[in-house]
Amino acid sequence: MAVPVVELQHVTKCFAKVVANKDVSLSVNEGEVVALLGENGAGKSTIMKILYGLYGLDEGKILIRGKEVTVKNPADAMAQGIAMIQQHFSLVPTHTATENIILGNVHGFIPLKDYTEKLEKIAAEYGFEVPMDKPVGELAVGQQQKIEILKALYINTNVLIMDEPTAVLTPQESDNLMTFIKDFTAKGNSVIFITHKMKEVMAVADRIVVMRNGVVVDEVRRESTSEQELARLMIGQEIVPPERTEEAISENEVLTLENVSLKEKHNAKALQHVSFAIHEGEIFGIAGVSGNGQDDLCDVICGLKKPTEGRILLRGEDVTNSSIRSRNGRGIGYVPVDRYRDAMVMDMNLAENVLLKRCFDKNWFNKGFIRRKMLNEYTNRLIEKHRVKANDYADMAGGLSGGNQQKVVLGREVDLAGNLLVLNQPTRGLDMGAVDRIHHVIMEEKKNKKAVLLISTELTEIFEMCDRIAVMHDGEIMGIYRNGELTTQEIGLLMAGVSLDGEAKGE
Amino acid sequence: MKTKNNVLLYNIAAVLVGLVISALLLLFMKVNPLSVCGQAFSKIVTDGYNLGEILVKATPLIFTSLAFAFTYNANLFNIGAQGQFTMGAIIAVALSLGLQSVLPTVILLIVVLIGSFAGGAVVGGLIGGAKAKFGANEFLVSMMSTYVITNFMDYLLRTSLQETKAEYMQTDAISSSAYLPNIIPGTRVHFGFIIAVAAAVGVWVLLNKTNLGFQIRAVGKNRFAAQLAGISTGRIYIISFMIAGGLAGMAGLTEINGVQHMLLRDFNASIGSYGIGIAILANGNPLGCIFASILFGFLNVMGTTMGRLPGLNIPASIIELIEGIVMICVIISYAVRGNVENKKKKALMRKAGV
Repeated sequence: MAVPVVELQHVTKCFAKVVANKDVSLSVNEGEVVALLGENGAGKSTIMKILYGLYGLDEGKILIRGKEVTVKNPADAMAQGIAMIQQHFSLVPTHTATENIILGNVHGFIPLKDYTEKLEKIAAEYGFEVPMDKPVGELAVGQQQKIEILKALYINTNVLIMDEPTAVLTPQESDNLMTFIKDFTAKGNSVIFITHKMKEVMAVADRIVVMRNGVVVDEVRRESTSEQELARLMIGQEIVPPERTEEAISENEVLTLENVSLKEKHNAKALQHVSFAIHEGEIFGIAGVSGNGQDDLCDVICGLKKPTEGRILLRGEDVTNSSIRSRNGRGIGYVPVDRYRDAMVMDMNLAENVLLKRCFDKNWFNKGFIRRKMLNEYTNRLIEKHRVKANDYADMAGGLSGGNQQKVVLGREVDLAGNLLVLNQPTRGLDMGAVDRIHHVIMEEKKNKKAVLLISTELTEIFEMCDRIAVMHDGEIMGIYRNGELTTQEIGLLMAGVSLDGEAKGE
Repeated sequence: MKTKNNVLLYNIAAVLVGLVISALLLLFMKVNPLSVCGQAFSKIVTDGYNLGEILVKATPLIFTSLAFAFTYNANLFNIGAQGQFTMGAIIAVALSLGLQSVLPTVILLIVVLIGSFAGGAVVGGLIGGAKAKFGANEFLVSMMSTYVITNFMDYLLRTSLQETKAEYMQTDAISSSAYLPNIIPGTRVHFGFIIAVAAAVGVWVLLNKTNLGFQIRAVGKNRFAAQLAGISTGRIYIISFMIAGGLAGMAGLTEINGVQHMLLRDFNASIGSYGIGIAILANGNPLGCIFASILFGFLNVMGTTMGRLPGLNIPASIIELIEGIVMICVIISYAVRGNVENKKKKALMRKAGV
């Protein structure tokens, strides 16, 4: 048997708080696509960052073409022909594609034109159409990714690591990426593909390495497995989706947006004429590739930004210009997308985090002094009710796992949301157990006659949870549909900005 | 709880290391550090007056360190405690001189206390306002405000506040009816020390037990989350700086009415910068500020005493050297502690993992 291009033997990596990888061994052969499949936090990215020299390893060794090497930094890895495309691209947005690609590999006088020609030739080999002379910040995400790929091709990479490459792509862009991977490996190169999506794995991988909790659980060939088996390996337990009850939507509007637009200095089309209404007991989903105005929509509803045009009504009352504080007081609960930044204070304990959103509610204070006992007991009940894995109220928020932090945030917001619960990707980056729990809580709120706005990039989540679905593209609502009216294919088109009668919109 | 003890241990160790390094520097002056320190130390502990001086020196430092520590909890840097203190001192001396013949002592002192707090608070409020309204860098604004106020003081000392003789740049001495009462006979320790300790305890209670303190800490630790909770960060910036300025201003009362009894040029020109160091030594904890200030008071007295030892010619400025070295050691200790704890956790994980 041929010597593998890359081999990792018994690699262990510990961080201060977690064992990220334990005794991980895997190998990649020439011309092979290996998929690293696992849930978020399973240790897929960590093991690849070790191979790429971003992290040091604590135990084990790295072999390249049979020879043991030490990879201290990405430069070492690149010298061995290994390149990695991070989940968050490392591009200078104000530089052109050419400048970005040659960055760090040139000295002295730079004949930009020559480089551009050379790069265009490489791009043509794979049928990439990328404008080389435009600042990359102006390009679409899919194109930026192509530039990242070109960067790797330019330095003669033969092992390409891609970390969740399809997370930011539309279904069509993903298909293009899959084609590239096939072309690339046909030339004898190898690809390591990190993902948690089983469909992609089945489409492109030769061999699948499944990881869970920092260890390799199993290794299977694509021909001899199925999505069901992979799911079982990945999750390790059966997940029962909450039952969706089909019933008539109530007539009572809780949240109404009328022709809401938001123009910002750097983005004149942050939101364009958004109108919709959410009713009592309805879960209203917003599907779309992230970065298409979902965050701005939340900001406008919660009062962080004022719309430049249009009206926002909460139970018929105009709240367009009310402060965040007054909206919180009117029963809007909000789970923001970035928990670390916007929802929690990591250096405070759970009780204080619960208090955070209640600091204008007089019931929790006695002449300005915090009612600690009441607060602590309440927090303990919340921990118990939402099955948060924590000792008690005194645990620091930062010490909890992401899923448990999110359960605390959701628990807090649910109790505050008398009318409306706004959820921006509430299950992003969480393990299946936590996702399951959070979905159940949302369903319960629906039964409690609350209006729920659920923004998600995961179509399965949208299909599973929502009564009605709106698709957002470039700050615009592409259409509002009842759940079941749309196929995945159709939603994919809408997400890419193509309206269903076949015309591209929004240019 | 355990980490708190650790912080204390590391701090004490750092201070000791700093003192040992400083003592070794005495070797450059060709004196025996052990005997010099021993002599100075015994001079301090055997003399009640010197012991009292430690508390006298510590009093204004408690205020200026609180002024830094308070805004530190809102993740703001108040480098201008010196200016806020100076403003407090100007108000204290002006009110004392103007009202000492009208008001009885107790009422006068209360008026001066409120006045000096207000003086510092106005200065602080302007800095916080600049930050809140215009996004100005509070670090620079507060630092520069010190120069403005120092020169304002010099101007007043040359004009309306100048002594009746109009000879030196200083005010008239305030009458003894405006003095803060002495609390330990045979020393210069005055009631201001008690005010300082009470202020530190008050600040601790405010930060940890009240709604306002909670909001200040929340803004300090994560202003985005605080904002989404409906807290106005600008309002918190202004309030924090006003309270911090007021605390520094109160040192004006204790120094004018408790120690110097007049205002003169270069009045206590370094307590602001020491306050920053002390607050860092205390890790921003108001109660820690009391003890760290007393330590610096002790070092201060130690330096003066060493300078006075007969026949050795040790410059009294050695104390600034010692204080500097101690500060550096404490700051290094934070880095060392972080590193050690990280390694420990990692080792534990590995044990548990394998």
